[in-house]
Amino acid sequence: MTRMAVLTLLAVLPAGGAAQRGDWPMPAKDYAATRYSDLSEITGANAGRLRPVWSFSTGVLGGHEGQPLVVEHTMYVVTPYPNVLYAFDLTREGYPLKWKYRPAVDPNATGIACCDAINRGAFYAEGKIVYNLLDGHTVAVAAATGQELWKTRIADLSQGETTPVAPLVVKHRVIVGASGGEFGIHGWLKGLDLETGRIVWTAYNVGPDSEVLAKPRIFKPFYDRGAELGLTSWPADVWKNGGAPVWGWMSYDPDLDLLYYGTGNPAPYNPEQRAGDNKWTASVLARRPEDGTLVWAYQFTPHDSWDYDAASEMILADLVVGGRPRKVLVHFDKNGFAYTMDRATGEVLVAQPFVDVNWAKRVDVATGRPVVDSTKLTGASRGNVKHVCPTLEGGKSPASPAAYSPRTGLFYLATNNMCMDYQATRATRIAGTPFIGANTPYHAGRGGYLGAFIAWDAGVGKKVWQTTEPFPVWSGAVVTAGDVVFYGTLDGWFKAADARTGKVLWRFKVGSGVVGNPITFTGADGKQYVRSDDPADVRPPADFMPDIARHTSQGGIVWVFAL
Amino acid sequence: MGLRPLILALVVSAACRGHDAAPAMGHEARVFAGGVTPPAGSPPQVSGNPFRGDRQSAAEGERTFGVMNCDGCHGGGAVGWVGPSLRDGRWRYGGSDGEIFQSIYYGQPHGMPAYGGLLPAGAIWKLVTYLQSLEPPANVPTQSWK
Repeated sequence: MTRMAVLTLLAVLPAGGAAQRGDWPMPAKDYAATRYSDLSEITGANAGRLRPVWSFSTGVLGGHEGQPLVVEHTMYVVTPYPNVLYAFDLTREGYPLKWKYRPAVDPNATGIACCDAINRGAFYAEGKIVYNLLDGHTVAVAAATGQELWKTRIADLSQGETTPVAPLVVKHRVIVGASGGEFGIHGWLKGLDLETGRIVWTAYNVGPDSEVLAKPRIFKPFYDRGAELGLTSWPADVWKNGGAPVWGWMSYDPDLDLLYYGTGNPAPYNPEQRAGDNKWTASVLARRPEDGTLVWAYQFTPHDSWDYDAASEMILADLVVGGRPRKVLVHFDKNGFAYTMDRATGEVLVAQPFVDVNWAKRVDVATGRPVVDSTKLTGASRGNVKHVCPTLEGGKSPASPAAYSPRTGLFYLATNNMCMDYQATRATRIAGTPFIGANTPYHAGRGGYLGAFIAWDAGVGKKVWQTTEPFPVWSGAVVTAGDVVFYGTLDGWFKAADARTGKVLWRFKVGSGVVGNPITFTGADGKQYVRSDDPADVRPPADFMPDIARHTSQGGIVWVFAL
Repeated sequence: MGLRPLILALVVSAACRGHDAAPAMGHEARVFAGGVTPPAGSPPQVSGNPFRGDRQSAAEGERTFGVMNCDGCHGGGAVGWVGPSLRDGRWRYGGSDGEIFQSIYYGQPHGMPAYGGLLPAGAIWKLVTYLQSLEPPANVPTQSWK
């Protein structure tokens, strides 16, 4: 749960570059979720000359946790609730508005979204901008005119379901999910028809095989055997309010025809109310986008006792692991381990901590299971379990997607250096109210700083460099063929760093903490631009960072930078 | 316990004044805690909190604040999280005894569930007592003033 937002953009345009190449048509730029751009005008040698060239207030204060799209010299920006969609004309001076789409969104959604009324962005497909409204609807809007083409109700607010997730469109399927791990939802993924918005299939993340769409001989988890795993790993009926929301990011491998996404925490937080592994919460699932069939699944944190959602992105890359070229999926989990997995089978190849971890000693890659420190297990009968690392904010927040550069072979990500005390209490499920059962104050981890931006070698599972930050780092990253990586901080610095060394090349103080995801694109003038949003909602004074209010407040501004 | 007859008396008197209060609730749809709507008819409005200043009632209200999942939105100690702080001295929908009671009983826009279908009036008054017992923090975030 927990995160608020800011957005930043960097744009750089290679002169004469094809429009397609400099576009940003989907949340993570590509299906592999790399957030890598092959634009190379901005480099280590000239990044120090970056300057702001445009800014725009969306009129909404609060977490702008998504990223805009840029398609054919139009920039599309979705705001947090009330989920306004702006289209800006990048071919004209001052980037004037082409049109604005202002949907009607049920204001009750803002009180049912666990962690601010955020939105993770839109997807461009076949002339349509597709995105989710917070109140449980998916809409398709004509990219050229702003006209609403269809609107489909996908989720039920009265059951605690809200929909900040960004869709992924594969061929003619729009893939969507719902948040609500703090409200005891029965988590699912749905496939809609791109032309009409009709719901074609619904796949639950927990429950009987018939609802999970786990079919005999097709569903082959690498480490698990047997049928009805989504039932037998739960007490009777508890799975019906067992959580497993979908609020992070999705990716897709066209060769394997597999769609990947992570599920959130089991509900409630108090694990003593849900004995068993609680599959498939805190897991990665691989499905066929056409009909939702489950092909494999792997649970990062069995019987999650710490709110370790696995909602972080699954980045697809070709790496050398153990001397062999492998088609892998790389995932930085809230639980503090970075996983490098075979994306065809779900086998764990490498699992190493990327931050300080003490709830588990290691991950046994032979069994796929973490070796848990039993003194860190939580539960209402265990009282206040002190000093668990990392916190439920995650070693990395799923809301802050990492980037991967095939040029450097490294992954770039924002991390948190925090630990927590965890006092679980018995929770009562009351529809429409939170279903949590834990009090979890945070404190700084080893070293005293609260966050860092790091580079990670996923082939061996090792940190390559790190830049510490006084506050947790909650922005996404983008890395370019100029070997420059961009990120923002909660105290409002938007930074460019050398992708090979981490050296900070340039920084600019925006008006609020950065919690959105920077992108880079080619302008109509052929130059490279970088974009960032700066609205952070850190709700100062947070008790674990009381000083944050001296550096930032809520914002809602989109920035564009260029040379 | 000794206060219970007093509450009943107040509830009865509220029934007589309820029609004045009802239209002020606005027309936006509310969320109902547990899916249970408050009883139709007479809103149990009263002019004052029968437990005001009673420490035992405040302690019972604090327990209810956790048991009914209020802390899941308003934060432990009601310091604010997704839902606003309830101890910063700022009341979006009115801070009189009866106005706080009505916000809990009928809910409010932006997701505050109506608890009137689940909680008896006495338990709601103890919640009000608990909230009134809280000291405002020294540093109040800007955004809570919007």
